[in-house]
Amino acid sequence: MAAPHDCSFGCTRYWCGKPAFPDGRRALPLQRTIVALIFLLTLASSLRAQSEDTDVQRPVPIFSAGMGFITPFQGGQPNLDPLISPIFLIPIGDRWLIESRDTFESDFATPPGSDTFHGVIQKEVDYLQVDYIANPYVTVTVGRYLTPFGIFNERLYPIWIRDLQSDPLILPIATGPSNASTGAMFRGGFAISPKVNLNYAAYYSTLIAVSPVDSDRSAGGRVGIFLPDQRLEVGGSFQHLLQDERSNSFGFHFAWQPPPIPLDIRAEYARSSRGSGYWIESAYRLSQIATAQDYLRNVQLVARMQQFFVGALPSEVLPTANTQEFEFGLNYYFRDNLRAVSSYGRQFSSLGNVNVWTVGITYRIVTPIGHAGAD
Amino acid sequence: MTKQFLVFSLLAMAIGAGLLASAQDRQAAKPSASTAAAPSASPAAGRATVHDDAAERIEGEKRFKANCGRCHMAPEKFPPRMMATILRHMRVRATLTDEDTQLILHYMTQ
Ligand code: HEC
Repeated sequence: MAAPHDCSFGCTRYWCGKPAFPDGRRALPLQRTIVALIFLLTLASSLRAQSEDTDVQRPVPIFSAGMGFITPFQGGQPNLDPLISPIFLIPIGDRWLIESRDTFESDFATPPGSDTFHGVIQKEVDYLQVDYIANPYVTVTVGRYLTPFGIFNERLYPIWIRDLQSDPLILPIATGPSNASTGAMFRGGFAISPKVNLNYAAYYSTLIAVSPVDSDRSAGGRVGIFLPDQRLEVGGSFQHLLQDERSNSFGFHFAWQPPPIPLDIRAEYARSSRGSGYWIESAYRLSQIATAQDYLRNVQLVARMQQFFVGALPSEVLPTANTQEFEFGLNYYFRDNLRAVSSYGRQFSSLGNVNVWTVGITYRIVTPIGHAGAD
Repeated sequence: MTKQFLVFSLLAMAIGAGLLASAQDRQAAKPSASTAAAPSASPAAGRATVHDDAAERIEGEKRFKANCGRCHMAPEKFPPRMMATILRHMRVRATLTDEDTQLILHYMTQ
């Protein structure tokens, strides 16, 4: 047990017995969360024995990883940003899935007066969760999971997926610095009519102040309506913070792939007491241009515009001044999982205007841990 | 107090969504896709059950095209047991419907 230390009620060290809040509530000790996770993992593996072994499509555990090497040039100075995100997927029986993703990344830069690159490797546990598909309408998730607020964090964040390498300015709204929550979540998707699907996520998260698994105490949810024929989704997100100023955040999202055109249009708006803003992005694949088809169909043009407005309360992770940004990207897909990326962006704010260039390469691998079945 | 209230509202929301959906399901009187992987030959015609393999594959392809390129480039086919894991992952992550998952799995493992 750790030595006694000097703290008042605000202490968030998991081993400290003092309440985390003035009204006597405590932060959930990390040990209890870990014990709960181990219990669930044991329960899940005991169910493995009960599952059918005869099905040729019985899922196999998978190791996957997204990786990339991006060189951003900010103010003409290059940095070197390697990143790797290993993912483990362990399916158990017919209804369970254990999934985890970690990220190891660095930002190597040349400090003034030096001509060599320096940097430290940062590690983040993005998620470590157990999913139980209870029925066609509800999946229960327990553990550390990506906060389902808006669409970027859960769906577009991985380096091999995002069309432009910089994060949207509003990303930390409701997802905080860690992008993750720890607790339980109900989610699912189902058809409410032959042409309309509904998807939802509702969650409760507890406070964990230990890096790299930190999360806020909050509750919230997201609802989306997806029209498969039009490939159009609209939805909204809500979160109530159960700590600090106990504020609310909300947002709206929109995603459309007009079926005859190889075009993606996505947009998000988010508002909280610490700031608000929006981004709108369109990405176009040149697959319909008649000339030089072999090359042009692999080219993607991207444009994004975003604006951020500071809120009434200060924030450590959001911009400190009203900001506007335009970015243009040019990506080349060698395969669906390997591409060269590049972008140019200009950011305008009262703190000064900056140009940001990026070039890089992104890749995703998927490999079975065990026999993958006939090809 | 607020915390308990929120936990209960979340539970109520999830149960409510489940009930609503199962009512919808009974109304449409179709077998659960998790047991039968029942596709809809013509969605407008009220999701009739079709046991025809080719029709199932066509429907699977349609759903693959509508869903699997929405967030990232649609992937190539993987061996069947990998495909089963990937689709379970995507079902949770992308909140795909049970029916979509079954039909896409069928299409991707043919
Ligand atoms: C709503 C967005 C979304 C949709 C729709 C979607 N995916 Fe994904 N997919 C993701 C994200 C996000 C990841 C990265 C997972 C991670 O990093 O945690 C991913 C990862 C993958 C991977 C890499 C292996 C893995 O499981 O992580 C494969 C393969 C894949 N998706 C295939 C598919 C297929 C097939 C479909 C259609 C059924 C599909 N995806 C639909 C968002 C989506």
